[in-house]
Amino acid sequence: MQELMTFAQGKRAVAHCTDSLIPHFPAESGHMSGQTNKKTRSEAATTASMDLLFELVSGLSGVALALFMWGHMVLVGSILTGARGFDWLAGMLEDYYIAQPTVIGVIVLFLVHAVFAARKIPAQLQERRKLKTLAAGLRASGKDWPELPGAPAFTPHLESMLWIWQVRTGMVLVVLGSFHLILMGLDVLTPLFGAHTGIESATTLARVQGGLWPVYALLLLCVEFHASVGLYRFAVKWGVGKRLKRSVLHRIEQFMFWSILAFGVLTLAVLSGWLDPPLAFLLGDPV
Amino acid sequence: MTAAEQARRLTVEIFRFNPQDPDAKPRTQRFEIDESPYMTLYILLTRLREEQDASLQFDFSCRSAVCGSCGMLVNGRPMLACRTLTASLPQHIRLYPLPVFELIGDLSVDTGRWFRDMVQQVEGWIHERQPFDPAAPEERMSDDESLAIYESDRCIDCGCCVASCGVANLKPGFAGPAGLNRMARFMMDPRDSRDDEAWFDVVASDEGVFGCIGMMACHDVCPKELPLLEVYSYLRRKVLAASIAKKR
Repeated sequence: MQELMTFAQGKRAVAHCTDSLIPHFPAESGHMSGQTNKKTRSEAATTASMDLLFELVSGLSGVALALFMWGHMVLVGSILTGARGFDWLAGMLEDYYIAQPTVIGVIVLFLVHAVFAARKIPAQLQERRKLKTLAAGLRASGKDWPELPGAPAFTPHLESMLWIWQVRTGMVLVVLGSFHLILMGLDVLTPLFGAHTGIESATTLARVQGGLWPVYALLLLCVEFHASVGLYRFAVKWGVGKRLKRSVLHRIEQFMFWSILAFGVLTLAVLSGWLDPPLAFLLGDPV
Repeated sequence: MTAAEQARRLTVEIFRFNPQDPDAKPRTQRFEIDESPYMTLYILLTRLREEQDASLQFDFSCRSAVCGSCGMLVNGRPMLACRTLTASLPQHIRLYPLPVFELIGDLSVDTGRWFRDMVQQVEGWIHERQPFDPAAPEERMSDDESLAIYESDRCIDCGCCVASCGVANLKPGFAGPAGLNRMARFMMDPRDSRDDEAWFDVVASDEGVFGCIGMMACHDVCPKELPLLEVYSYLRRKVLAASIAKKR
């Protein structure tokens, strides 16, 4: 009884205190009307238009880069047919002036995407820690929970953590991607490396085998993760998921990630000289 | 439920803090309690308060996932305590109050103020087309429209989505998952006089749907299983279409 009384009083005391915490609001209908409202309204509309534009720029540049990465895998994958196939493809793209505008366009898209996508990253370390705690808690929940028929539906949640990993891989990409793009720009547009202007298998092989293979391995892992999760998120955001269920989209994302990663690892193994080009027979070459 | 599960002795770690007490420091308190058949977190907490610590604060009202008072972080996930069976949880249970909202004490948070601010921000009420005439017959609404509105209106303001949202946790002005859902509910309503242009600055800003970074936690934790991701994509497409129409 004594305890119950304490509880009741405590509860009333708390209720009393929270009342005093509630700040004053402007009169109910007054806060969004009148002359000032009109001005803020048009300002708000301008801000909203900019926010829409930024969202489109960051999303579409990301989709463009992700789609380019698929094509890119096929181009680098030409090394699987041997050095001759690789050089033929590179030479063809450069002779017809496809490679030069592409490399410039990708550099521009890359910078645009970095700037506009980064606007959503929390600036303060404390904020990032808060996000990480939240996301890690959500990911861990349900992992060791007993299965119970008849219990309310439980959906495991991973995507918050995937977002954080997208930020992390994005930051790696800003550094390693810039490095790679500068090298490619110099290769395609200047005679600085190799025997002539353009991408050459000899230069590329020498780079990878000269000790850069861990850099390219990390770049490959980050770019494939970032791109496949990004495409998945874009599809869900804009509602492709209405027809294609989200679980299906997620499975497509995982399939894309693993298959392209596997193809990339194979390509990198050939570039590093650990593996003979497995498709060399297509060109009838002795390797 | 097997005999082994019934016999479990649960360890419950509960966040304790009374912000009204100037000497209080946030801490966690460990309780032990025997699990009973069909025990929910509501039953567990009530028993802890009756048998072990009468000062424990938490909110309950309906016990049937309708009132939305009992949202809390259960092992890191926002859930309604009344519809969570302890048998679906591991032996060690961690209970924390929902983040984002103002703490009243222990597991009790003030979701009401957050939701009132949100409703004022999105003006979550019917802006009528003409003055209400109580004598006139009601205007008809199509079944599809009324079903879509009903689906959005199933929200019980429990705040689980808000607590799970990374953006709502960092940006106080963000309308949050529940706020975006509220926008969509009134955008769909044929009785509301606001057109696409009137909605544009509320919906399209970084405090509206473009503040959302697509972490998708809200959709996964919603106890009422509202189709929140579909709601956001509806808002995004609607706003984009309105923007294109305006430029023409």
